[in-house]
Amino acid sequence: MIAASPGRAVEDHQDSAEKRAIDVRGLAKRYGALEAIRGISFDVHRSEIFGLIGPDGAGKTSTFQILAGVMEATSGSANIFGRPAREMRSQAGYLTQTFSLYLDLTVAENIRYSGDLRHIPPNEIAERAQKYLRMFDMDRFKDRLAGQLSGGMKQKLALVCALVPQPHVLLLDEPTTGVDPVSRREFWDVLAHLAAEGLTILVATPYLDEAERCHRIALMYQGEIHQIGTPAELRASLGAKRLELRTADLRKTESLLSEEAGPDKEIIDVQRFGDRLDLLVRDPDEDRQMVAEKLRSAGVPVDEIRVDEATLENTFVAKLRALGQKAAAVEFPSRHDHSNLHGQVAIGATDLVKEFGAFTAVKNVSLQIRNGEVFGLLGANGAGKTTTIKMLCGLLDPTRGRIELAGTQGNLRSEGVRQRIGYMSQKFSLYDDMTIRENLEFFSGVYGVPEHEREEKIRWVLSFSGLQDKQNQITGSLPGGWKQRVAFGAAIMHEPDILFLDEPTSGVDPLARRAFWTMINRLADSGAAILVTTHYLEEAEQCNRLGMMVAGELVAEGTPTGIKARQSGHLLEFIVDQPQRAADLLKSNTERWRVSLFGERLHVITEESPASAIDQTKKRLAENGLRVISAREDRFSLEDVFIAIVEQARQQGKVVTED
Amino acid sequence: MKRLIQFLFNYRLLALIKKEFNQIRRDRRLAISLILPPVVQLTLFGFALSANVTNVRLGVVDDSHSPESRELIATLTESRSFRLAGYYFSVNELGDAVSRGTVDAGVVVPYDYAKDLARDRPTTVQFLLNAMNANTATISRAYAEGVIQSYNSGLRGKGSSSRVETVAGMNLARRGQVQLQPAFLYNPGLVDSWFIVTGVFGLLLILNSSLVSSAAMVREREAGTIEQLLMSPASTSEIIIAKITPLFILLCMMMLVAIAVLKLAFGVPFHGSVAFLLFGGALCILSGISIGTVIATFSKSAQQAQLTSFFVNPPLSSLSGALNPVEAMPKWLQPVTVLNPIHHFATIVRGSTLKGSGFMDLWPNFLGLLIFTAILVSLSVWRFRKQLS
Repeated sequence: MIAASPGRAVEDHQDSAEKRAIDVRGLAKRYGALEAIRGISFDVHRSEIFGLIGPDGAGKTSTFQILAGVMEATSGSANIFGRPAREMRSQAGYLTQTFSLYLDLTVAENIRYSGDLRHIPPNEIAERAQKYLRMFDMDRFKDRLAGQLSGGMKQKLALVCALVPQPHVLLLDEPTTGVDPVSRREFWDVLAHLAAEGLTILVATPYLDEAERCHRIALMYQGEIHQIGTPAELRASLGAKRLELRTADLRKTESLLSEEAGPDKEIIDVQRFGDRLDLLVRDPDEDRQMVAEKLRSAGVPVDEIRVDEATLENTFVAKLRALGQKAAAVEFPSRHDHSNLHGQVAIGATDLVKEFGAFTAVKNVSLQIRNGEVFGLLGANGAGKTTTIKMLCGLLDPTRGRIELAGTQGNLRSEGVRQRIGYMSQKFSLYDDMTIRENLEFFSGVYGVPEHEREEKIRWVLSFSGLQDKQNQITGSLPGGWKQRVAFGAAIMHEPDILFLDEPTSGVDPLARRAFWTMINRLADSGAAILVTTHYLEEAEQCNRLGMMVAGELVAEGTPTGIKARQSGHLLEFIVDQPQRAADLLKSNTERWRVSLFGERLHVITEESPASAIDQTKKRLAENGLRVISAREDRFSLEDVFIAIVEQARQQGKVVTED
Repeated sequence: MKRLIQFLFNYRLLALIKKEFNQIRRDRRLAISLILPPVVQLTLFGFALSANVTNVRLGVVDDSHSPESRELIATLTESRSFRLAGYYFSVNELGDAVSRGTVDAGVVVPYDYAKDLARDRPTTVQFLLNAMNANTATISRAYAEGVIQSYNSGLRGKGSSSRVETVAGMNLARRGQVQLQPAFLYNPGLVDSWFIVTGVFGLLLILNSSLVSSAAMVREREAGTIEQLLMSPASTSEIIIAKITPLFILLCMMMLVAIAVLKLAFGVPFHGSVAFLLFGGALCILSGISIGTVIATFSKSAQQAQLTSFFVNPPLSSLSGALNPVEAMPKWLQPVTVLNPIHHFATIVRGSTLKGSGFMDLWPNFLGLLIFTAILVSLSVWRFRKQLS
């Protein structure tokens, strides 16, 4: 099954029973009438990173809870090293979506506590703590209170706490929700390292760029597993290629091609990104011709059509569609058109500065966002994104600098201005103690959605979030992803012409995320200016323009393609027989961030010419007894660029705040 | 005026108010604290804190052995206050019993009691009290005096003019001045619970209003939704009005429940105007809400707000004269009560229920309460606004 290095495959044959770290057979879980898991079977090998992916409510968390021994299965078995999971609790480290730390204890105290619980001698706790903290580059923060760490560091600390008892199996349930890209990459680098050391890791994630870093993944939907395989196998199973189409008129092209698209047609799927369209097609060459022809006859200029592999996200969305999962059903009942505003500056900032005492959170940020545009603001935790947004929407006064909002300067907090703004804050945009319907009634009322439109709008939000039959449920009881959908709907009910979205898709599954972006694009098309932040750079590709913030400064700005093109250096992809050893070796004589491991694939960023770098690297690996199976130059992903920019800023002595 | 109405009834304000109601409806703790305290607190305090003393065990030394002495003892023990616990042979024996606690009080009728009465000479009945419980002792003594007084008037009615004096047991009870408090005048049955429950009523309104409102006000900040609310077109005034209105309405309902308890469970007479009572109560609730709001603006969480309340509420209640007469406080502390809305309200309540006083008598208290409410409301609105912006 595992399409890994040959060596591993041989070992697999020798004693596969002993290699099976996690063994799940016919597992089922029922909550009353609800079948959360309907008889799933899979096994995870020792030293493997196994990903569980699937939409919200697929049964992932229930599976984790059974494996962690905190919940009984209704039927079936879940074994860890051949024994029931419940008996093996001491062998499993379990990390949930929410932080499981004591926020008023220091980093060291948290670690000591979790070690003491398992009766580990103090000197061993100290030793292991030292080792893992160094691995995460966190040993400087030993005496800091856990409550004062950033989200990413909290999750890293939680992982350290889970590792100190030296479990054989690690169960990670969406561990990187709300964690910034830099920390996320570090987190996954450490996971790869741990797996190579022999730890077995089962991880759930809604983000498919993370799923790419697993050895194998299982696609879960409505309590069943529909497919298991390596990311490459899953991608191949779709039997489709991806066409990247660049054109000046995305909107028209999208609507033109969407008419032609369908699961049984030549074009399987059309997805719009910030400055390109992705077409999923069966026969790349033929369809490329067909598309070019079609657009030419419609008079749409085409800049470029490139053929590329389908992404995991493409696969996932296509599979879910085939399984009957639907995205937004009802059309958005748009009553107002802002297209007359198109091209006007909706949000403008000149030399924005915010100081908190001696600390400068935002330094000379200037930006302009026009109506009809989706602008993405990216940055690690503490880069000043949220502070910038708060200033731009008038919640926080800047220390210096000028802001223009909806054509006004000065009083940004007037009723008239706020009426035109939609705002979705990072976490708490709904009232947890009211029902979904009451929340929607409140927001439509307070934003003055006319009485006769209200019911229609509320119905749209409910259908958009797939909660039609749950409108009287208390909002606080909804899982995070669903709450985000309702909050997004609530923020756009009054059809604002300026929209601030602070991490709107955090914890939202890929299909729903796609519905989010379709809606965001629609709003932009109708003339709204949209400012959005995200930790997921794959998603940032959806923006028309991006700004990257590091340590309070806007260090890069442009279209996704432009930013990637401007990045110096080259990205090389190697497939090696012992990837972790190769990664460790290459990291030893270059900056750590330049090397990272994606499942079996090794990414290296180099400033030299690609050909010579490939030769040199190959030689170096060969000298150390490692065999290179393939090597090629790949294009930068936005995440690669982002990490490079952050690291370069760090080298230039810019303080990248870690909290 | 038209603009004011427009402002008050715009869709936004209505949406905000509806939202607050929805949240309060779901907050079980809040709902409970609106219903339970008026009923439980009032009845509990009314009965438990009541200065009404019943069933004081009375020991008797009857040296007179006459029909007159038996009549006196019968008169004493007929009232619900005293219960005959036993006869003793000597004063010393009775004194021992009192100090041991077998009886709570003792009465000594002298040998020539009947003779003195017959000769129209003043006679002295000795009264022994265990002042370990000073409160009970004082009250028992007052009762005894009252009983003997009415006994005296009965004698006068028969044309006799003898006096009976009571003397507290020197070594056992403190000799003290008896103060007849005004409340007694309008409380002929000596129903002490009236004094207590009318006081508790004021306490209840203010303390409960402040607790409930501090919890409601801090909730939005604690949950983090305040930012979302601030980004909506709602103005700060609208937000404040929307927060206060539902609380005010609910607390007024609580007041009505409390009044019902006063009337039905304690039979407090409503001699004066109920309108006064309601108006004063409404002002009291507003002050309470304002106190709560101010506390909330200084707190980050409901827990913190509650702890802060612990610093504010006890002095507010103990320096109000609601549970104990202002006159019983040290002289230098007495003027402080003028600064206490509970004091004013307690006076208003007692005046308008027990005495039937009108506005002419109560206006200083109304004025005091009004000034207070105005100051507190402006303070809280100012603080809240400052916090919002």
